[in-house]
Amino acid sequence: MVLEIKKVSKNFGGLSALTDVSFSINKGEIFGLIGPNGAGKTTMFNLVTSIFPTSSGDIIFKGEKINELKPHLITEKGICRTFQNIRLFPQMTTVENVMVGVHSRSSSGVLKSVFRPKSQRQEEEGIKVKSQDLLKFVGLEGYEEVVAENLSYGQQRRLEIARAMASDPELLLLDEPAAGMNETETEDLFQLIKRIQQKGITVLLIEHDMPLVMNLCDRIAVLNFGVKIAEGTPKEIQDNPEVIEAYLGREEDELDA
Amino acid sequence: MLIEQLINGITLGSIYAIVALGFTLVFGVLGIVNMGHGEIFMFGAFIGVLVTTTFGLPLWLAFLAAIIVTAFMGYLLERFALRPLRNHQGSNHLAPLISTIGVSIFLENLSHHLFGPGNHPFRTPFAEMSIEIGSVTVYLVQIVIFVISLILMAALSFWLGKTKAGKALRAVAENLETASLLGVDTKKYITLTVILASAMGGIAGILVGMAFNAVTPQMGLSMGLKGLAIIILGGMGNVKGAMVGGLILGLAETFIVVYGDSGYRDAIAFIAIIVILLVRPQGLFGQKTSDVRR
Amino acid sequence: MLAELINPYYLQVGSFMLINIILGISMYITLSTGQLSLANAGFMGIGAYTSALLTIHFSLPIPVGVVIGAIFAGLLGIVVGLPTLRLKGVFLAIVTLGFGEVIRVIFVNWESLTKGSVGLSGIPHMGRELLKTVKELGFEPKMLGLQNNQFIFMAIFLILLVIVIFVIWFFKRQNDSRIGRAFSAIKLDEQAAESMGINITYYKVLAFAQGALLSGFAGALFAHMLGYISPADFAYHKAIDILIFAVLGGSEVIWGPAFGAFFLTLLPEVLRFISEYRYMIYGVIIVVMMVVRPQGLIDLNVVKWIKRKTTRRGLKNGTGN
Ligand SMILES: Nc1ncnc2c1ncn2[C@@H]1O[C@H](COP(=O)(O)OP(=O)(O)O)[C@@H](O)[C@H]1O
Ligand SMILES: [Mg+2]
Repeated sequence: MVLEIKKVSKNFGGLSALTDVSFSINKGEIFGLIGPNGAGKTTMFNLVTSIFPTSSGDIIFKGEKINELKPHLITEKGICRTFQNIRLFPQMTTVENVMVGVHSRSSSGVLKSVFRPKSQRQEEEGIKVKSQDLLKFVGLEGYEEVVAENLSYGQQRRLEIARAMASDPELLLLDEPAAGMNETETEDLFQLIKRIQQKGITVLLIEHDMPLVMNLCDRIAVLNFGVKIAEGTPKEIQDNPEVIEAYLGREEDELDA
Repeated sequence: MLIEQLINGITLGSIYAIVALGFTLVFGVLGIVNMGHGEIFMFGAFIGVLVTTTFGLPLWLAFLAAIIVTAFMGYLLERFALRPLRNHQGSNHLAPLISTIGVSIFLENLSHHLFGPGNHPFRTPFAEMSIEIGSVTVYLVQIVIFVISLILMAALSFWLGKTKAGKALRAVAENLETASLLGVDTKKYITLTVILASAMGGIAGILVGMAFNAVTPQMGLSMGLKGLAIIILGGMGNVKGAMVGGLILGLAETFIVVYGDSGYRDAIAFIAIIVILLVRPQGLFGQKTSDVRR
Repeated sequence: MLAELINPYYLQVGSFMLINIILGISMYITLSTGQLSLANAGFMGIGAYTSALLTIHFSLPIPVGVVIGAIFAGLLGIVVGLPTLRLKGVFLAIVTLGFGEVIRVIFVNWESLTKGSVGLSGIPHMGRELLKTVKELGFEPKMLGLQNNQFIFMAIFLILLVIVIFVIWFFKRQNDSRIGRAFSAIKLDEQAAESMGINITYYKVLAFAQGALLSGFAGALFAHMLGYISPADFAYHKAIDILIFAVLGGSEVIWGPAFGAFFLTLLPEVLRFISEYRYMIYGVIIVVMMVVRPQGLIDLNVVKWIKRKTTRRGLKNGTGN
């Protein structure tokens, strides 16, 4: 088990965004987290990455409780994420964005950075090569020196994935990576996530694109109004009347999209 | 003795409260700290000196002139130092702060050139008049200051709470976008806020002139810094917090002069903030800044 | 020949300029993590008073005093930085401004130590001390055809020049590294930076302390360059001076504040009449810059443009040969 969510709740003032949610993710799988808008999916990501404290419950990563750690330590432990509304460093170049991602896997301090002994130069070279490789991996080869805000929407989403992977995560959290992508881009994304899985990285995926979710995920949990209403294989989820009800009750186009 | 100091403290505190209200109004509505507010206040004081001492005209005219001049200065400040920044959004959230710092430096040095650097006396016809109650002496000036402050605070509270314009203003403060969707002319209310705040600063300027019988170009800076300290103490954009914070500071300063080291009087405000930061970083009455959504 | 070229007055202006460049850079460092600190004038005062008092009372050599002054200011930067950096943007600016005020009030009131608002005088003078030392070693300025005071001012200027070159080199290298990337990530999106594994508290305090250290360093140099200091040298107007170096020059690249300091120190010297209206003009410049060019005169594009120009010229010359 890589990640265990144990009876986690989160309240914002009076609003309970998540109520006693539990699920666990096995090593190497692609786990889907779906549910209508406002169901609490992104909030779950924010709790796992410690952007907000949990109101109650525990989050266990590889047997260790992590919900009181600071966000950067979570990354150091091996969890990294992308954001639903893209949050790149817009004025940095593509490759610089990824190089920032390597931060937690490098160590040169002020003095080394300024006086640049051999170890620092090697580290810096390593960061650069690794970042370029990652850009190639997500299909952004040749865009290294482009300023991130000038990339297309789909490219920015892939850059976010590369940046998150730069921290060598064991668990990668993707928040609606297909949002705003056209069909070919989505197909590429499908392949990309598959290849990420093949690298041995566990993936927790929030996505509204149902065909994508159903084809990719090994297992899926469904949230509705902050409550987990179902968990199982894609097949089980598709046949679950409560899930269909949850989606039909809100927006008609989502499940059969 | 104690009672007299208490009265001094309250007088000073009510002036501080009015200055702080000017900061709070602008912050509440625009989310901007107007660093030029202290200097507008100082100009109010100088208008008072000009009208009463130089021209020998009555005090009420001084108030009127100060209100008109500082309101106009507020309009100019909004028009030239704030409005142009709103057009290129997202560039830099520090820009309005820095630009109003520019305004403050400009005004301070303008007043150096206009009025000279020295101390200007501020004469009021009733400067020496006082009432003895038992062993306690209360100066008429103090009563006038206190009453005017109270009226001003009450008027502002009433206006914000009960009038249509005041409600619209609060709607703008609540959420600029929603207010403009609801058909509130946000530009008008933003300008109005800065004008109103500035006019209050102008009135406070005259009150300070009366209280200390001295007006200098530097007083804007030191008063401005205190006003800022108060709104941090009282919670940014919080009207009641500004009033309470002003009173607390006025009393604290008065008592340190009497029982402590008067040299540190001007530092109290900031020592208080620094201590508060260590204990309660969101301010005395402030709430935690709400987390940004992602 | 050399003697006529060396005008102590110009050298003095040049030395002020160099000190201001260090101050401008101190502002830039904290700004490069997106924090506007107005405490740098206060830290400058801390460095100046610390070094002055140590050299006066304990006869420490000037370099030792300067280093201790700078380090002390830097440590104070950590102490002040840790609690205040939880504040964002405007709040931080106000509190740091207030901190500067508190420092000034302490300088004025702690008379037994600081001599109050009169300030300290008789601070060991960098140039004169150096002259004494070289004379003991048997060197005379006359050997270079210089008068004593020409030697003094030139020595100060050259020392400061070397220091400034080192400081720019140091922070340019730092900026162009893992540390610099962490700084600008924090500036661009603090929460995203944190989620990418950057310890934002550490780097913000680091930047704040580096700014404080550098201001303290500049202050100590200032004290030993003039020989006398007073609280007014480090008050609000100094904070504004430092701010405007970065506002006019720019804070995206290290050359911005350096240029700002250079230009704004020179301006009142060249245009004498400006000096009287200096701060009024500063005020207008600040407002206009925020409206027209909030990133300052020299931004990344300007630097790239200059680089392109110079390399192209280099190429042309190359083929011409
Ligand atoms: N920072 C926050 N402050 C207040 N409410 C929030 C915050 N973040 C999320 N919420 C609320 O929590 C609920 C779940 O939101 P979210 O997790 O973003 O949903 P989803 O990602 O499933 O669409 C929503 O009602 C949202 O308004
Ligand atoms: Mg979401």
